[in-house]
Amino acid sequence: MTPHVTVQDLSLRFEFVERDTLSGISFSLEQGESILVLGPSGCGKSTLTLCLNGLYPRELDGALSGDIIINGKPTLSYKPGQLSRIVGVVFQDPETQFCMLTVEDEIAFGLENIAVPREEIEERIDDALRLVDMEHFKQSTISTLSGGQKQKLALACILAMRPNLLILDEPTANLDPIARIDLIQTIKRLKSELGFSLIIIEHQLDQWTDLANRCLMFDKNGSVFFDGSMQQAIRSHRKEIEGEGIWLPKVTQQVLPYVNDKTHDVPLTLEDFSREAHLWSGIQWDENVENIELETQDIFLECNQVSYIANDKTILKDISITIREHEFVAIAGANGSGKTTLSRILAGLQRPVSGTVFLGGKPLTEWNEGELRKEIGYVFQNPEHQFVMNTVYDEIAFSLQMKGVHESEIQERVGRILKLLGLTSYTKNHPFTLSQGQKRRLSIATMIVDEQKMLILDEPTFGQDAATNYEMMLMLEERYQRGTGIVMITHDMELVHNYADRIIVLHEGEVVADCRPAKLWQQPDRLLREWGLDLPIQVKMQRLCKKEDQYHVPTST
Amino acid sequence: MFLHQLNPTMKAFTIVIIVILLALIFDPITPSILFLTTIILMFVGGKVNWKRYFLYLLPFLLFAFGMFWTTLIFAKQPDLPGQTITILTFDFPRESFIVALALAVRVLSVAALSLLFIFTTNIVHFILSLIQQLKLSPKIAYGVLAGYRFLPMMKDELKVIREAHRIRGVNQVSTIRGKWSQYKRYAIPLLASAIRKAERTAIAMESKGFTGDRSRTFLKQFTVSGKDWLFLVIMLTLYAVAVYTSYSLGFLKLYDGEL
Repeated sequence: MTPHVTVQDLSLRFEFVERDTLSGISFSLEQGESILVLGPSGCGKSTLTLCLNGLYPRELDGALSGDIIINGKPTLSYKPGQLSRIVGVVFQDPETQFCMLTVEDEIAFGLENIAVPREEIEERIDDALRLVDMEHFKQSTISTLSGGQKQKLALACILAMRPNLLILDEPTANLDPIARIDLIQTIKRLKSELGFSLIIIEHQLDQWTDLANRCLMFDKNGSVFFDGSMQQAIRSHRKEIEGEGIWLPKVTQQVLPYVNDKTHDVPLTLEDFSREAHLWSGIQWDENVENIELETQDIFLECNQVSYIANDKTILKDISITIREHEFVAIAGANGSGKTTLSRILAGLQRPVSGTVFLGGKPLTEWNEGELRKEIGYVFQNPEHQFVMNTVYDEIAFSLQMKGVHESEIQERVGRILKLLGLTSYTKNHPFTLSQGQKRRLSIATMIVDEQKMLILDEPTFGQDAATNYEMMLMLEERYQRGTGIVMITHDMELVHNYADRIIVLHEGEVVADCRPAKLWQQPDRLLREWGLDLPIQVKMQRLCKKEDQYHVPTST
Repeated sequence: MFLHQLNPTMKAFTIVIIVILLALIFDPITPSILFLTTIILMFVGGKVNWKRYFLYLLPFLLFAFGMFWTTLIFAKQPDLPGQTITILTFDFPRESFIVALALAVRVLSVAALSLLFIFTTNIVHFILSLIQQLKLSPKIAYGVLAGYRFLPMMKDELKVIREAHRIRGVNQVSTIRGKWSQYKRYAIPLLASAIRKAERTAIAMESKGFTGDRSRTFLKQFTVSGKDWLFLVIMLTLYAVAVYTSYSLGFLKLYDGEL
């Protein structure tokens, strides 16, 4: 049998770019096989997607060499649009994959493109919706769906066209953990039901590894440095993997520092780990010890019976919370629980319908805008939104200039920050031309240059790659050590576990928990799930170990 | 409901014909009759949220009234100054009054006809029907549809950018020049993200096999049926009745470049 997909010595270079985006890539994929494609951002993984579905070289401004053969025919010999019957792609951003207004029309769109007869379209729409478990949404407007539902719809659109190769291009990057697990479960079920071949491009590997063990690893230069099983990669290429900033599954990350035996298979999933938990009794679990006495800190921000109503819908109901000076607080909760609204109210960007927010004992409404901004900074989800100047240097200098700081001091302070960010050689660049990670760092830098007492961050890790998040947390940690309080909206429970002093959980506009993270994890699983939360991996593994100990103690004595 | 089931292209065509025909007549009676019958037709043949409907009609009412009043006050010398009409104890030449009324009702009847189309037509169906009946290129049509989805997204994004800039301490300005430069500053992030979104959407559409050529099937097929011709006939009849009534009452006058 000939392989389903064969890529031979594929190289690609965009116009006006000095180096190859993809260089010398070769691999093949059997019918029904699954493969994970891993690599740092900007390594050309998404470009590979467009080569495989035939958009490149047709739409490419640049040069491509090498061959891509799908079902025994080179992609170039397929007519435009024809390959979409064989190759289906689900992209990262749930907002921009659709061109119609309703679910039904959107699924029909793809089928109409390949001229499926009208009677059959109807049937295929129902089939596809049944596969992703969304029959009830046939007539819904797409804009009313949640992110997870949109990604499932994107999947349904592709499935309706019955491809036998499915490419998932970071399909879960913009989803919260609960929606993410739901989507992965759906894909797993479909894979065994329909048996398509699967190419998964991902940053976060958890849950995917039992679907595909073979992985293709890219380095920064767009070439493949490893093709084989995940286990093998960890054994033989650990250095490269770390160097390229490829993120291993969370369980593996926890265990890896304790691996001495090079021949042993490291666990990739919680199930693997549970089978051999007794082997890992030596792991030191980070207990997140109480480093500061919370009660001794002064109250910084106080929220008194705050409610918010928009379009007759109660978003926040009687919220009363306090935030002390120099505290790291996480705000968590399912989508639509009112997290973002609360953060905007805390920052004084929105006014509550009723209730008052006090900053240093004075209501926010009595603060003058300029003074308020010196106290509280706010970092938005998309870094680009906050850029106001035309060069990186001016961007950082901006708020200092507004404050009327002396020019020589500005130069000195900006220089120091640029050095800290590693952006010294980019001073004259436009902020929009930076890479994703650089933009994120710059956006935080513009906020902390003022040395505000508190920084609020709205899901700063959302849709960013792991390396960017790591750098960002380093910056925040440094800031926190120097006395800035941090309030962060996040879905990332590992992050909460590692950094937060306190977590506030919102559920349907009300505060349902306000305690130390360690205390929250003791809540029943059912309750956590209802609030849209998942236990952090460390806690799950720790519990498995404990269970193992209890199991082993009676037998050994 | 009858009006909702009509072929959107034919409905638009019918409305345009009536508007053109209406433009040929310049008297108060013909458009008044059409205005009233259009609203009655909406009542009978359409399912409409009336509160919303009159909210939409309100600006036209104000505009029509303004037009009526200014035309009445700044009318040119009448040919027959003897005939007058009294409104609120003011005397106005009858001739100017009729011209003013004709202008005002004209605005209203065109507004009512357009609203009839807008309130009973789904924009997506209209565009699909344009592809099917008028052979509009799918490339343009689906592009417009995708763009239509973008508008609310851009509105939300503008709000976020505004807040983000406020946080940076960009002062709220009140001068026109300041406002201008502020909007220039909003434009860069807004356009940058719009271009990126558009590109992603285009890629997603193409990878679903969209090529822009006409050899495609349609889930929602639009055809021109007896109903559509019936609607055209109804509208033309209404027009004819209106013109005849106006003629019988001695008001009928063709449009002659008045303002």
